[in-house]
Amino acid sequence: MGRHMRNLFVAGCVLLWLLPLYLLVVNSLTPADEYTGSVDWTPQGFAFFDNLESAWVDAGIGDSFGSSMLYAVVCGAVAVLVAAMAAFAVIVLPIPRPALWFWVIFSGTLFPLQIFLAPLFGMYADANLYDSRLGLMLVYAAWAVPFAFFLIRNQMTTMPPELTEAAMIDGASMRRIFWRIHVPLMRSGLGAAFIFQFTAVWNDLLFGITLSRSPEIQPVMATLNSLNQAYSSAGPPVVLAGALVVSLPTLLVFLVFRGLFLRGITASAR
Amino acid sequence: MTDTVSTAGPARPVRARRRIPVRSPHQAAKANATRRMGGPLAGVPWALPALALVGVLLIYPFFRSIYGSFFEDNGFTSSFTGLDNYTRLADDPIFGRSLLNTFLWVAGTLVLPVAVGLAIAVATHRMRLGWLAQLVIVLPFAISGVATAALWRFILNTDGALNEVLRGVGLGSWAQGWLLEWPQNTLSMIVASTWQATGLNVVLFAIGLRAIPKETVEAAELDGARGWRMFRYITLPQLRAVTVVVIGMAIVNSLKAFDMVWALTQGGPSRSSETLALTMYREAFRLFHVGYGSAIALVLSVIVVASSWAYLRRQMPGAKD
Repeated sequence: MGRHMRNLFVAGCVLLWLLPLYLLVVNSLTPADEYTGSVDWTPQGFAFFDNLESAWVDAGIGDSFGSSMLYAVVCGAVAVLVAAMAAFAVIVLPIPRPALWFWVIFSGTLFPLQIFLAPLFGMYADANLYDSRLGLMLVYAAWAVPFAFFLIRNQMTTMPPELTEAAMIDGASMRRIFWRIHVPLMRSGLGAAFIFQFTAVWNDLLFGITLSRSPEIQPVMATLNSLNQAYSSAGPPVVLAGALVVSLPTLLVFLVFRGLFLRGITASAR
Repeated sequence: MTDTVSTAGPARPVRARRRIPVRSPHQAAKANATRRMGGPLAGVPWALPALALVGVLLIYPFFRSIYGSFFEDNGFTSSFTGLDNYTRLADDPIFGRSLLNTFLWVAGTLVLPVAVGLAIAVATHRMRLGWLAQLVIVLPFAISGVATAALWRFILNTDGALNEVLRGVGLGSWAQGWLLEWPQNTLSMIVASTWQATGLNVVLFAIGLRAIPKETVEAAELDGARGWRMFRYITLPQLRAVTVVVIGMAIVNSLKAFDMVWALTQGGPSRSSETLALTMYREAFRLFHVGYGSAIALVLSVIVVASSWAYLRRQMPGAKD
């Protein structure tokens, strides 16, 4: 009895969770000009690539897809490198007041983004960084550092200090120790931090709509949002095809690197 | 209070006892090694890039925002008005509604994604194919808020999938414009975010469940505990640590709710579904009440930090010993 209830509950939840995904896929297949205004529950034709083309070319998802890929890869990588160096400084190297350094760098992740936005906008307008790729990349990198630092620092504390000592006795410089010992040994931790920050930057909307305006600069979520606001004129199948395609990178990363992906989020639970 | 007093005493000696054998060789080596590592300031250049990025682009704007909240500022001219922005908050009905919506988001997130996440984690624990069910439920977590909103607009629209289902099963009178009236619009968006966010809680609770020693469950079984009693008196108390984290993260995330609301309703109709995060954005960047927006951002930040304090404390260096 209890067992059947349990199976039924789980099966019900799985169905509830799959239903929106099913609708997403089925309705992105419907040709946009044949869409009747009511939901399709079964596939009506196969116009996914036409819908995708409308979203990709006409709505500009394609351009911003490229921009966001650049932002997410570069800023994720830069943030992980900068954060790993800071973690190395705080954990391995001598530094005055390591706890203070930790809190100053980590504090960037405590607050809602809204508290940074207005001054950032002013600074960006003054420095001609508003609506520029460099400006977005700077703020994404800065935003990604604190949590990457937190993850990497936590992992670095588990590395035995004898490793560093042995390498120093062998005469290795600190730079060499960092690149040849810590970075290779922390591969999975660095990977988890990169995947986490890649996803965060890819999924960002708020910085994108606040600090940029032109279609060739805006990140992909800002473009999808514009398309989504033009919901009825663009046609729901086109919007859904766009939503599907911008979700693919993070879904792929998630399915391929599930362990690393979840490690990033669950690190704080242990 | 009494709790902290009674635990503070015995905790320290235990910690010290454990630390002495672990730390002292390392410490001794470190004192000796400081010189060879390049002096007591050797770490500073390594930490500077992080400090520069975070300091210039996050910490400075943070303080500038607090400073700016004491000014009446429309983006071109600004004048010092002291606490005016804050007193204005008190009798702004839009801010009141926004605050109420934000608390609805927090309460709704605790009721739905957290409770449902716990239920699913417990139900799929040690179940055949349970991992597959968990995978399906965590899948939407990889999807962005904007994409989720695009999908749920399709479901929640007046001629959307939900109303069609309701009409199909003979509940046509329940069909309505889900996004067009308060409080349905906020509540439906909470359901939409449940679809997206529950998976994370399932994963976190599943980790907590796997960490429960089998012996405690077996002992309770011998004593005749089953079903609800087993869950209430054996499982739940041992999930305490992970529950603190889940609730902390859920509260923080729900207080920051922006993407989905902005993409689904833009806070409308007539600003009825705004959350604090959204009211700040609208005031500062659409209506150019920059100082007023900064005041809202500060209120939101205080709420976020205060309500996640228990969770943040766990993340402090050394707090997890």
